[in-house]
This record gives sequence, C-alpha cells and structure tokens, in this order.
Amino acid sequence: MKTTPILEIRGLSKRFGGLVAVSDVNFSIAPGETLGLIGPNGAGKTTLVSLISGSITPTTGDILFEGASIRHLPAFQRARAGIGRTFQIMKPFPGLSVLDNIAVGALFGTSTTAKALQTAREEAREWLELMELQHHADQRADELGGPDRKRLELAKAMAMKPKLLLLDEVMAGLNHAEIDDVIEAIKKVRRTGISVLVIEHVIKVIQRLSDRLLVLHHGQQIIEGKPEEVLEDPRVIEAYLGRRRA
Amino acid sequence: MTLRTKFVLALAATLVLAALPWFAPPTLVQFGIATLLLATLAQGWNIIGGFTGYASFGNSVFFGLGSYGTAIAMVQWQLPFGVGLAFGVLLSVLFALVMGIPVLRLRGHYFAIATLALSQVMTAIVSNLEIAGRNIGLVLPLLNGDALFYELSLAVLVLATLTIFWISRSRFGFGLIAIRENEDAAASMGIDTTRYKVLAFALAGIFSALAGGIHAYWITFIDPVSAFDLSLNVKMIIMTVFGGPGSVLGPVIGAFVLSAISETLSTEVSSVASLFFGMVIVAAVIFMPRGLADLIRRFRKTGWRYFSENVRSHRL
Repeated sequence: MKTTPILEIRGLSKRFGGLVAVSDVNFSIAPGETLGLIGPNGAGKTTLVSLISGSITPTTGDILFEGASIRHLPAFQRARAGIGRTFQIMKPFPGLSVLDNIAVGALFGTSTTAKALQTAREEAREWLELMELQHHADQRADELGGPDRKRLELAKAMAMKPKLLLLDEVMAGLNHAEIDDVIEAIKKVRRTGISVLVIEHVIKVIQRLSDRLLVLHHGQQIIEGKPEEVLEDPRVIEAYLGRRRA
Repeated sequence: MTLRTKFVLALAATLVLAALPWFAPPTLVQFGIATLLLATLAQGWNIIGGFTGYASFGNSVFFGLGSYGTAIAMVQWQLPFGVGLAFGVLLSVLFALVMGIPVLRLRGHYFAIATLALSQVMTAIVSNLEIAGRNIGLVLPLLNGDALFYELSLAVLVLATLTIFWISRSRFGFGLIAIRENEDAAASMGIDTTRYKVLAFALAGIFSALAGGIHAYWITFIDPVSAFDLSLNVKMIIMTVFGGPGSVLGPVIGAFVLSAISETLSTEVSSVASLFFGMVIVAAVIFMPRGLADLIRRFRKTGWRYFSENVRSHRL
C-alpha cells in the first residue's frame, strides 16, 4: 500500500502570454520528505512555488495537497490547509517587531481557532529561540541583517505549523559562512518531520538537504532522482555549464 | 506609562470633556461638536488608512451617506432621528461592502485614485435624486440643544476609540496591520485579506456615517456638494497622519490640536487657516511621518535628533 503523497503535481503548466514558464511538470513529495528543485535562472522555479502557494493560477494541470485538489483555492486557504512558504525577495512585516512577525504565523497559519494575542506571542517564542533570534525579539524586522532575516522568514513560516514548507531560494545574497549557518537552521525545520520543497541555486545546499532532486530547465523537468546521480547526469551539467565543446 | 495609567488619564479627559457644556460658553460648545465629529471621522480613516494601509478618499462618501440617510428618513419619511441615523449607517455599510470588493483589489495609488472618484460620482447621483431634494438639498427639523449634540458626538467618538483600542490588540487588528506591512506575505500566512479589508472599510463607514448623521441634524441643512465634500476627507487624513496613523489616540489628539490651531488662526485672518493646513501636511510628512504618537513615544530617547533622523531616512 502506498501512502498518499503530501503534494502531487500533475501535468502543471503556466503560460504568460507567449512564454511558457512551466511546462507539463509532474512530481510528488512524500510525507516527511525533502525534495530539492534546481535549475538555472529563468527555469521556472519561482513560478512553480507561486503556483503551489496560490499566488498565481495554473494554465493547465492540477495540484493535489494530501490527495485533494487545491487548484481553485486562494492563497490564504492553502496556507490554512498547511502550505507555508518563504519568499525569494523576503517579505517580512517591516514595521512589526521580530516577535510579532512570528506571532502573525501563530495567530493565523493553520490555526483555525481565534486565540489571544498573548497566546500567539508565547507560541512564537518557540521558533524565535529555535532560530536564535531571541536577542532581536523587540527589534523592528527591517533592522535585521542578512542571515537573521532568512531565519526570521523560516520562523514566520514555521509558526504557522505547516505540513509542507516551500523554501524559495533562501540562500540568495548570503556568503559561504552564512549559508552554512542557514543550512543548520533548515535542518532544525526538517527535524520536525514536515515535508519541504527546497528551491536553490547553490548546489552545496541542495546536496546537504534534499532526499531527492528534481531539475527544471526552460520550464521542463529534465530529470528526477537521487542527488548524487542527478548531479552527475550529462543533461544537468549541460543545462548548468553549457555543452562541452569538442 | 502603563496601560492602566493611560486608561485612567483617558477616562479623566473624557469626563472633563463630558462636563464641558455645563460651564463653557456656547461658542466653545459649538466648536467642540465640530471637533469631536472631526475626531470621529479621523478615527474612521485610521481604521482603513492607518491600520490597513489603504489611503482612502472614499470616507467622505460614508459621511455623506450618513448625512443623507438621516435627512431622508427624517424629512421624507418623518422617522425619528435614531432610526435615521441607523438608516445612514446601513447605507454606508452597504456602500462599503458593494464598492469595497472591487475597489479594495487595487493597491497603493490606484486605490486612492479610484476612491477619489467615488465622492464625485455620489455628488452627481444625489443631485439627481428626487427623494434627496436634488441639487437643492434637504432641510431637517430644528432641534435647539447644542449640549445634546455635544454629548452625542462625544459618545460616538468614545465608541470609535474603544473599537480601535480593541482592534489594536485583537487578531483582527493584527491581520489588518499585516496587510498594511505586506499584503502578499499576509495572504501566504493564512490571512483572508479581501474579507479583512472589506470589514475594515465597513467599520470605517459606520463611524463616518454616525458623524455625518449627527452633523446633518445639528446643521439642519445638507446639499450634495457639502455632504460629499472631498476636502473633509483631506482633513481626516491630515489629522490622522499628524496624530499618528495606526495608533489608538493619535488621530483624536491630531484632530483636537489642529482644530484648535486652525480655529485660532481663522478668527485672526481667515486665509491663514487654509494656508496653515497646507503647511502642516508638508511639515508633518517630512519631520514626523509616523505622527505625534510616535514623536511622543520616541522623543524622550532621541531628543531633537528625532526630526533630523526622519529627514535623513527619507533621503530628503
């Protein structure tokens, strides 16, 4: 017997006018699995995340979350169902304190009962501490530096108590030391047992985090499999480095 | 200052204000009514503009609908004032729901422009309605009792302020603030942004309509141009921004301070008053973009640097 995948993508395409950003993509993520998604610039990675989180609607194809189609659900309902995301261009609530940023996740997210602000702030403390942001709790979110901002994005999304987390190029703009730092933070997220879709440019990150790898190129999936096999595949090398000249 | 002392101070101020008609001269009571109504309007704008971040120019429509609802019910249907007021609020809420759904899809400047047109449209519609007295307007029954209007206005302002106090510490209010700070992120965290925005718009509509209804009965005469006057909306914005958008008491303080200064100036030289409002907008936006509330909170820590920091952070 097969378990129902947490997320299943069936023949998904997105067309912007004449441009096909995502073309007939099929994959699924099992409960507790981390799937890495790589591809060169303009491969359609962020479009795919936006399709899953609901900020844009697909041209054709279907998205199933825990076996049920969520294609027609607006973004906020997908978040309530258990899909959390971070943004490539980070979107904190700049004027709110770091703690309150996380509290928004606890207050809304997958929690359906109206809870007091106080309760939400207490719940927010858990991820505040796990992401080592406790010294910044009362600072405004726009006063945070690079890696702290990334950890805040993770904390905000995790406070929603999602079942699936979409990480859209969390590492963008970080240096090597900071990347290692944030990888550790993501490992803490994985340890909670939720499913994760990691979209990344930096191969090192993908290697260290994903159970399985999917490569997107010009909106099409070119290969799927174990990280080490995929990264050796000539098609992937070609997509990233170009064709080897004789 | 703890919340408790703030609360006691606010209560004391309210009691003093409530006692005013018994010892103040009639002109001061009249000035008081106008100021309390303006403060209520500013609080209404604070909900949609200050908390939710949608710079509405449609709030003067709520005011106008409150005025006309009350006037039509009282003049055409001979209903009591209370029923008229309720009718005005109902019109205003319906308008917020019907117009809010399409208009609140627009963001930033586009929302402001769309709402800017609303009051023009309403003036045109009302000028052609027989029941609203076409472009001549309506004359309401006379009620001599400034003290009554004063207390009523104060009660509505207290109600508006208590509502905003609740908003500022509720899940609903947190949702509105999240929308203001970043709407895409708010939606991705499970906030039903459309519903929240429309509710905020309707809530703003309720208080603006109450102010409109009281104002109409007090003035006893309304016409399309003055009921849907856009400059009233501009005043709401100035007072809220001056006092502190997104704060509980800021808009009230803003309304009181600005009304007092403008009243003093207009008794001296009338043209100075309007010039003054223009200067206040420019100065407030440059030196204290987060309003009096933020200035009071931070001035003790930063001193005069507060102003230069604001100027610098906006790269002026």
